Amino acid sequence: MYIFKTAVVGAGAMGAEIAQVISSNGLPVVLKDIDQQLVDRGMRSIERLYRERVSRGKMTAQELRDKMDLVMPTTSYNDFADVDFAIEAVPENMAVKKAVFAELDNFCPRQAVLASNTSCLSISEMAAATMRPGRVVGFHFFNPASVMKLVEIIPGRETSEETVATSLEFAQSLRKIPVQVKECPGFLVNRVLMAGLMELLRFNEESRASAEEIDGVLREAVGLPMGPFLLADMLGLDVVHDVARTLETAYGDRFRAPATLRKLVENHHLGVKSGEGFYKYTR
Amino acid sequence: MDKRDLVDRFVFAQFVEACRCLEEGIASANDIDLAMRAGAGLKQGPLTWADSAGMDTVLARLKSLSAMHGERFTPPRSLEQMVADDRLGIKTGRGFFEYSAE
Ligand SMILES: NC(=O)c1ccc[n+]([C@@H]2O[C@H](COP(=O)([O-])OP(=O)(O)OC[C@H]3O[C@@H](n4cnc5c(N)ncnc54)[C@H](O)[C@@H]3O)[C@@H](O)[C@H]2O)c1
Repeated sequence: MYIFKTAVVGAGAMGAEIAQVISSNGLPVVLKDIDQQLVDRGMRSIERLYRERVSRGKMTAQELRDKMDLVMPTTSYNDFADVDFAIEAVPENMAVKKAVFAELDNFCPRQAVLASNTSCLSISEMAAATMRPGRVVGFHFFNPASVMKLVEIIPGRETSEETVATSLEFAQSLRKIPVQVKECPGFLVNRVLMAGLMELLRFNEESRASAEEIDGVLREAVGLPMGPFLLADMLGLDVVHDVARTLETAYGDRFRAPATLRKLVENHHLGVKSGEGFYKYTR
Repeated sequence: MDKRDLVDRFVFAQFVEACRCLEEGIASANDIDLAMRAGAGLKQGPLTWADSAGMDTVLARLKSLSAMHGERFTPPRSLEQMVADDRLGIKTGRGFFEYSAE
């Protein structure tokens, strides 16, 4: 299926990045959030990403305007009637996701693919909120989506072969690397990453080595681009804690978060966004 | 700080989880390594890493890690089988992936 027009629902951190990826590949994208202020904030984030490329000489000011013209900010579903591929990037909450899927089902054409950028929630459950479970799929970008190449393509229980094929092709047309992953809690990459991160948290608690020391050793010994504790701070420790809980419920003790993480979250030390996590940040 | 313990616990925890994903059919060996490189910024996928380290070496280290830290490091059954079948990785031409002689 050829994709002529796309939509992104939720203009937050991920939604804005995803809309930038789509527009930079020359495809029109409707960007929806719940009010004008939030949509405007999303548009500013996209423009910031393009401005960086202009200042690095990667594109001209005219090209920036052309790309921005492909993004259509909105607070309604009026422009969804001819969308071929919609991606939701609303908050990680099943009730919110289901409501958005029911709306998309209502306003998008019958043959459109409805995709979720969820990190951890069940695709099959979201699909059940629509009349087209065969056309619902997980389409999971990694943060920051404008840089990270991977998209996990996750079919739900009823997703059709055709939807999977369309999703793989669409990801490639965005110059991303799609990998098909069977539905399971955490999918593939976060599941493997979190297994490593929880082990480091245990090491941190047992050895009293600081997050900084641990990050340093791992960057050197394993060649990681970024220390895992810094990465956790960037993801948000509340998010990490929630994901760990989901994985612990699904797979058992190896994903249990040590008390250090719980305490940080309880004290509202959520990482970069709150100014302190495993590290301290000055604004 | 015991650096070897730190690095091994991190690397082996991810490796064992990757093996579980492979056993459960979550993704192919190729896709697992590709995804960990493109999505997590690893230099080398966990399965390719084991192929170059040698499956017998990996199995032995996992046994000592599980004795020390518990069953989360219990060697996956598929790994025991690979060692029994002499699929030790690059050095025997076959592990998670196949290697030709040249
Ligand atoms: N942040 C990450 O690192 C990351 C990585 C991969 C996937 N994800 C997933 O992406 C999704 C979004 O995460 P985020 O970090 O961008 O969150 P965010 O909070 O930054 O953005 C969510 C946006 O959705 C909007 N929204 C809420 N309800 C809406 C509705 N009914 N209709 C339209 N818009 C609505 C909010 O106003 C907000 O702007 C989540 O499912 C998350 O798990 C996040």
